[in-house]
Order: sequence, then C-alpha cells, then structure tokens
Amino acid sequence: MSALEARGLVKRYGGLVAVNDIGFDLRSGEILGLIGPNGSGKSTVMKLVMGIERPDAGSVKLDGVETVGWPSYRIARAGVGIVFQHSRPLHRQTVLENIKLALLPDSLLRLTAMAGVDDRAREIACAVGLSDVLHRHPATLPFADLRRMEMAKAIARDPKVVLIDEPFAGLTGTEVEAFSELIRDLRAQEHAVLLVDHNVKSVAALADRVLAMYLGQEVATGTVDEVMRNETVRRVYLGGTLEVAQRNGAAAQARPSLLRVEDVSVFYGKAQALERVDLHVGEGEFVSVVGLNGAGKTTLFNAISGLVPYAGTIAFGDRPLTGCTPASIARDGIVQCPESRQLFADMTVRENLDLGGQHLPADARAEQLAWLFELFPILESRQNQVARTLSGGEQQMLAIARALMMRPKLLILDEPTLGLAPVILEQLSKALERLRATTPITVLLGEQNVTFALPHADRVYLLEHSRVVWEGEPAEFAAVMGEGYL
Amino acid sequence: MTTLQILVDGFAISSLYALAAVGFTLIFGVSGVLNLAHGGIMLVAALVGWWVAGSTPLGTYGGTLVGILAGLLTAYLTYFLVVRPIQRSTAIAQEEKEIFVLTGTLLWGIMIQTGMAFVFSDNPVTMRPLIRGVVDVFGVRTPRNEVMIAVLCWVVIGLLWLLINRTRAGKQMLAASINPRGLTLLGFDLSQIYFRVWTIYGVLAGLAGVLLASFLGVGTANAGQLTASAFSIVVLGGLGSVSGSLIAAYVVGYLETITAYLIAPTLRPIPALILLVLVVYLRPQGLLGRR
Amino acid sequence: MTRAFNRRLLIAGAIFVLVATVLPLWLSAYVLGVLTTAYYFGVFSMSWDLLFGFAGEVNFGPTFLIGLGAYTAALLDNAYHPPVVVCIAVGALAALVGGVLLALPALRLRGPYFGLVTLVAVLLLQNAIVIFARFTGGEIGMTVPDVMTIDPKLNYWYALAFFVVSAILLYGLSRSAVGLILQASGQDAVEAQALGFNVTKHKLAAFSVSALFSGVAGAMLVFYMGAASVGTIIDIGIGVQIIIGAVLGGRRTILGPAVGAIFLVVAAEVLRPLGQLNTFIVAGVALAVILFFPDGLLGHVLRPRENA
Repeated sequence: MSALEARGLVKRYGGLVAVNDIGFDLRSGEILGLIGPNGSGKSTVMKLVMGIERPDAGSVKLDGVETVGWPSYRIARAGVGIVFQHSRPLHRQTVLENIKLALLPDSLLRLTAMAGVDDRAREIACAVGLSDVLHRHPATLPFADLRRMEMAKAIARDPKVVLIDEPFAGLTGTEVEAFSELIRDLRAQEHAVLLVDHNVKSVAALADRVLAMYLGQEVATGTVDEVMRNETVRRVYLGGTLEVAQRNGAAAQARPSLLRVEDVSVFYGKAQALERVDLHVGEGEFVSVVGLNGAGKTTLFNAISGLVPYAGTIAFGDRPLTGCTPASIARDGIVQCPESRQLFADMTVRENLDLGGQHLPADARAEQLAWLFELFPILESRQNQVARTLSGGEQQMLAIARALMMRPKLLILDEPTLGLAPVILEQLSKALERLRATTPITVLLGEQNVTFALPHADRVYLLEHSRVVWEGEPAEFAAVMGEGYL
Repeated sequence: MTTLQILVDGFAISSLYALAAVGFTLIFGVSGVLNLAHGGIMLVAALVGWWVAGSTPLGTYGGTLVGILAGLLTAYLTYFLVVRPIQRSTAIAQEEKEIFVLTGTLLWGIMIQTGMAFVFSDNPVTMRPLIRGVVDVFGVRTPRNEVMIAVLCWVVIGLLWLLINRTRAGKQMLAASINPRGLTLLGFDLSQIYFRVWTIYGVLAGLAGVLLASFLGVGTANAGQLTASAFSIVVLGGLGSVSGSLIAAYVVGYLETITAYLIAPTLRPIPALILLVLVVYLRPQGLLGRR
Repeated sequence: MTRAFNRRLLIAGAIFVLVATVLPLWLSAYVLGVLTTAYYFGVFSMSWDLLFGFAGEVNFGPTFLIGLGAYTAALLDNAYHPPVVVCIAVGALAALVGGVLLALPALRLRGPYFGLVTLVAVLLLQNAIVIFARFTGGEIGMTVPDVMTIDPKLNYWYALAFFVVSAILLYGLSRSAVGLILQASGQDAVEAQALGFNVTKHKLAAFSVSALFSGVAGAMLVFYMGAASVGTIIDIGIGVQIIIGAVLGGRRTILGPAVGAIFLVVAAEVLRPLGQLNTFIVAGVALAVILFFPDGLLGHVLRPRENA
C-alpha cells in the first residue's frame, strides 16, 4: 500500500482551475518530483495534500485513510510534514526552541515539555547539520541554515510523508548539493518524499519518479528519463521547435547603449536572488533574457525599474539610475509590464489605457490609442469591458498596450506568455513583430518559453540560478542550448 | 404627521452622516487607513468655526470657512505626524503596521479631544445657522438651515463623484484604491496622490464638522461617538465602497431618527450598534465592500 | 532564554516584592491608594498582553471583560449579599463566559475586524448599563455594601499579592510549552497548524485566561473602591489606558505591560492638577513611544537579543 495516494484532485479558484484531475501514488522510501512551469498548480497540489486548502473534488489517502476535509493540524499529526517555500521561523525563539516546538503535543495543559524532548530536538538538529547554532536566533542565521531548520521542524515527529516545496530556491550550488544529500537521507530512512522545484536539473538528479504538470493537468509521469524525453514536456518548457529569424548581428555593436547593467546583485533578506549580473541593451535592440522560473528574471527587471534595492550600477543612456524613484524611472522611459500584469481590475479597458496615457498631451494620447487599437483590435471591441472580465490573453494584451501608451524608450516584458494558449501566443508574437518593424522601440523580454523568446531577439542572455551563464545570438543559442536547457 | 417629520429630519441627519462617512471611506479605500481621529478632525472644525463666528468680525460665513480650513490642517497633521511616519517606519513589522496606525490615530484623536476641551471647555456648542427661518417641506415646518445642509451635503457628494469619475486626478485616486503598484509602474508618484486624498478628506470632514455644529451642536464628548458612527456606517456599507457608505448612512440615519422619535431619544445609537454586530458576524464585508 | 537572564529576572522580582511589601510603613494612605489602583491596572495590562503579544489578537475593548466581572460581582453583592470572595468568583465566571461567547465567532475574523468587534462589545455593554440604570445606576454608577477592607494598608497588600501572583502565573504561562504554542499560533497560524496545533483551540484558551484574570481584577477593584461606574470601569478611555500601558512597557513581555500600566497610573495621578491636560500629555507620550520606540521602554531589556 502506498504511503500517500491521491486521486482525481480538482481545485478551482473562481473561474480558474488550478488543479485538474491530478493523481499519484507515493511509496515509502521513494522520492516523487513534481515539475512544471509557474502557474501549473504544483504548490496547490501540496497545499491540498496538507489540508491548507480543500480540494473541490478527489481524494487523498494517507496509509489508506481518507484525509480530505481534515484540518491541517490533524493531517500533520497523522504523519505528514511540510517544508514551505519560504522559511517561517519563530523569530523570538532560538533554533533549539523552534525545533522543540515541533515536538510538542497539541495540549492546553502541558506547562513543561516532557523529558526527552530536549534530547530529541538536539538529535534532529545534529542530523540536519545545525548543531553549531542551537542557541542562536533565526535573524542571525545564514539562509541555508534557515532552510535546514525548516527541514528539521518538518521531520521532527518522524512523519511518513514529507512534502518539500522549492527546497533549492536561493541556495548556492554547494548548498544545493548538501540539501540534496539531506533529502536522499530521508529516502534512505524510508520516508515518502514529494518534491516540488523549478530547478528541474536538481529535481531530476534526486527523484525516482517524476510527474510533469502544465496548467493544472498532468502532462507526463514516469521515470526521470522517460519524462525528460517526453515530447509534450519539452514543448511546455521550450515551447516547441526552436525557430530563429535572421538578425543582423553586426549592427548590434554599432548601436548606442540604452541600458547598461553592471555587476548587479540583489538579496532578498538572506537569499541571493541575483549574483553579479552584467547586461546591456542597445537602442532599438530586442534582447531576450531566457531562464526558468526562479532564475532571477523578475528580480533583474525589478532592479532596473527601481522596485528593489541592489548593489552595482544600472545606467539608462548616460545617467545612473541609483536613487531614482520607480515612478520617475517609468516617466523617464523605462516601462515594465510585469508578470503579474498589475491591471486595474475593476476599471474598464479604456480607463486602464487612459491612465497609461495621462502623461501625454491630449492629441498624442488619442494618436497613441488609435495606433494601439490597430495593433490589438480585440481591445477596441472590448474597450468598455471591465478588465477583470477579460480572458488571460486579452488581459496580457491590455497590460502591454497600457505600457505602450506611455511611449516608452525601453519596454520590459516579463513572462508575457505565462498561462496563455498557443493561439494567443501567435497573436502576441505577431504584435511584437509589428512593434519591432514599425517603431524604434527597444525591448527587453524575459521568458521561460524559448520558442517565443528567440524569433524576435537580436541577442539572448541565459539566466540560471541568479547568474548569467550565457550570452550570444539566437542562432548560436538554438545550436548550443537546445539539448541542455532542461 | 410624525412620519413626515421622521422622513424629513432623518433625511437631513442622514445626509450629514453621508458626508462624514464618505470622507472616512475615501481615506480607507485609497490610503488604507482607518482613521480613528476622524471625530477629532470634525470637532476641531466645529469648535474653531464656532469660535470665529462668535468672537471675530468674520461672522458665521467666515467662521464656516475658517472651520473647514482648521479641519483640513488637522487632517494634514494626522497624515504627516502620525500616519505617514508609522507607514514608513522600518522598526515596525509589515503585518503590524495596520494595528499601529489604528492605535496611533486613536491616541491622536484623544489628544485632539482633550486638547480642545482644554482650550474651549467641555460644553457643547452650537453654531448659529447660516440661513435663518423656517420653510415648509411636505407640510413639515423645517428650519431653512436644515434644508440647506441636506442640499449642501448632496452638492458636495455630487462634486466628489464628478471629481473621482471624470477628472484625471480622480481616476488616479480610484486606481490607487485598486492597485497602487500599477500606478507606480505607470509613472505616478503615490505620495502626491495620497496628499490629494488627505486634502479632500480634510475638507469633507471639516465641512461635516461645521455643519453638524450648526445643526445639532457639537461638544468634546461627541468626538468619540462621531468616530464610532462613521466607523459603523462605513463597515455596514462595506469598507472602501463609497456608494455603500452612502446607502448605509441613510440606513443608520433613519434608524436613529426613528428610534429617537418613536422609542426614546437616549436610545438613539443602539439600533445601529446592534446592526453593526449582526453585519460583522454575518457579512463582514458589509453591503458592497470589496476588501 | 539563558539561565543568567532568568536568574537576573528572579533577583529583580524578589527585590521588587520586598520593597513593595514594606512601602506601606512609610507612605501615606493617598499614595498607597494610587499604587493599589496601579497594581490592578498592572493585571489588566498583563492579561491584555497575553492575548495580544502571544495569541496575536488585538483586543480594543479589554474593559468589556473587566466590566462584566466588576458589574456582575457588584450586582450580586447588592442583591444577595454573599461573601465577597463568592462575588468575585461569580464575577470572574461571568467574564469568562462573556469572553468565550465573544471570542468564538470573533476569532473567525481577520485582524482589524476582530478589533472592531471587541470595540463594539464595549459600546454595547456601556449602553446596556445605561439602559438598565435602574439596576446598575447607569452613568452615575452603583455602590456595593461590602468592601474587602477599609484599611488602606490591607487593601494595598491584597492588591500587591494579587498582582504578584498574577504576574507569576501569567509570566510562567508565557514561558511554558503552552506559551510557546500560543506564540506560534499568534505569529504564524498556518505554520502552527502545519506543525500539528489546533490554533483556534489555543487562541480561545488564551482569551479565556485573559478573561478570567481581567474579571477577577475588575471585581476586586470594585470591592476596593466600593463603587462601580461606567466612567471608572468601562469607558473606552480606560481600555485605551490599558493598551497604552502595554505598548509603553513593551508588548509581548507580560512584565513590560505590568510596569507600563503602573507607570501610567502613577503619572496620570502626578499630572492630575493639570486637569484635562493630563490625558493629553499621557496620550502624547504614548504616541511618541509608538513612533519612536515601537518595542516599548522595556521591550529590549525583557526580550532576548534578536539581532545579536
């Protein structure tokens, strides 16, 4: 009998189906990897198993016992431990006390912990490598140790099933290796492990079996090799066959530099999100930054737009951007269309666009609006519709159009194809092509979907695990990276 | 006869409540602040207006204007001395900021109340009406002042509606209440937008305070009750919804008037309180609330 | 928490108890009276901190619980004249029941709404007392026929003893295993649940403990003053004073709020000659503390160094 058995899990959020008929078996002493692009529903599946969210349909059986509908503390007591994506320590307690908490019974009457709790807590701390920092407080710990503490808490009561959400995010190469060892130890101790991470290579190295998801549905399941070679999986990640349009590479050198990113690093608390990144974009260029989720694309764009603090220099034209407010950076010509789109959901399409054009004089605004309606005809026909009611693709077009209303010198597009159907990708692609052909606009595109990112690009950067690992022309990229991307 | 009286009186008081509540809701919707010093701001406007009207040659009209200005000034002080420093403080955790702002405005409100009591004494004051005389409304003898107040409230609310829905600044404020990050991405300075909202709020609260003084009279003891009323109305209508506040203001205004006329004047605030409890338990987002 | 810290705390506590116990030999009845009230407020603030600092719930109307305890005890005494201890016990029970009835549905609501409900509860109680003025004396208040004692020294010692016992119990609770679970529930409910703790059950328990201590303290206060009225027991201003005391002293430390409350009562008394201005100054000081020392005056001292 499997330690964990899931069948037909479904979860809807309003009109969005986040998880659609997912099922799997997890046996003791086995590591199952759950992979898929952002928005594929992996984290939601974990939440459903842990009882943090309730599935709309389906069943989850722990050792044969149905747990759907149980509150999460009951599921935890029944033998499921979870390591959350973001560390959640108790800041006012020491490492030892944090682990001891995990060992306490759910009782109102216990004033002192039972004998043996202290010893057991120390044992667990040693097992994960925290014996040197037992009496320190979480605020003083390095990032990797915080993640170890999360692991310690999750396995404290020796659960049958361990759920691990994004264990490698924010860790350096060596730390990833050390953590992988810990996870392998879990398997050796006959725990059943469900692993979710964007770092497909690391998951592939650890997992016995893999389940690939896309848009809430199962796309492939089987051994690591089987899944990695699966056509659909490759298409989902790479976006299909790699096409490259002919670009004039030499011209790139001649163009004056519009954006220069030098030696930029970004830390979120302790986690390093960007490590010494160099990047430059010339006037009129179309540069694609390619990389999986969690690689650092959004962080890079947020640094450029002034939304997060960074070390290093970013210069726009000949002026450094340090000290400029995000609003002034946007007004000066760097306009970002973020992954989350940030539309004004309760306002109409037209109102959203008008807000984008408020900095322009009236006639320029009207002109720009007309041009955008030509570029995205569907927006014209839906101009009085409330943005919330538009489809995903229409919302993306609105977000891009709104950004274009500002007549940006540099347009930053972060993952515009996320969660969109192939037919919409076609339309977006055509619109981008027209944009390139008819205006002197400079574009910086961040994408996971390589097929979408390559055809328009003059140059490509590959971002992996917060560092730039490759730079060059699209044709070279297709030749060199096609096989190794996954 | 009494029914008509209730209808007319209730309408006037509800309109005033609407004006006071709309300001409160605006500040919450756009700035995210539940301003517990709201009653205090109205109090300052009322007392200063009364004093200027009575003790200086500026008279009632001058007093009204100065009162509104005083309310505006107090609103600015609330924002720059209390709310903004807490919102920008790095020593307070993000999740706790809401509660700290709440406590901070509560303390500031108490400071205003006791400060005003010190300067003006505790006695309730009534401002002389702006327009004297009575007029016949549906057969009810109503003071002209009361009619004027109701009309003025609606004119102001109408202007506010025009401002928010038809001007560029207004659209920005509306957008700020939906998605402030979106505005930053489009190159708008949020601090400027917040300043505008607090200005409008100051004028609204100031006007409501001065009008209340000329209608029912205001005393330092009222400040807390005023905030509580505005709070109840806004929660009933739904935090962040201006139209919700308008509707709720009339519900509460009429409930109170009916209670005062038909049951007992001292029990005025009770039905609204009970309604509030019911709403908070059964439908916390209020009638039309979003957040 | 290190052994050294605990030892220092024990020593400081012992010194305080020693000094406080012998004070009546030198001080006037007036000063003793102020301190007696201050000790009761100390218990109010400690109970508040248990709820806020540990269960993470802001109670904007602590006087709801205090008022239930106080008025129930007073009404019982006036009606049936049972021994004072019985009145206090029944008052505490009333506060407990009232607290649980309030908390059960209220805990389902998010932060600011929970605070709002507690505020409304106070307003309702206040209005109920005014409406039923025939029994409760309304705004003017009511007296109780029995008091604990007339001797200011004895009253002082009763209050001190109650304060010290409460401090030991509440502080001990906060540092116990249950206290740890409570802190986790308040700080990060999702994580606490994932670790296997029924958060609602623990928060309800915290509310009950807070209600119990508040109820007893409120009832004792009535039998000390010999009277109960809206202005002295229930008014929102009293509640604000309790919260300010807690914030001033340093939230999440239990002992900080005790010190803060005592300081506040004494300061208000010292400033009394200034009339209305005393509330102004106290509120001003509290506002300044919130802005510049959000951790309170003792927050840094009483909490382990978090950024070593």
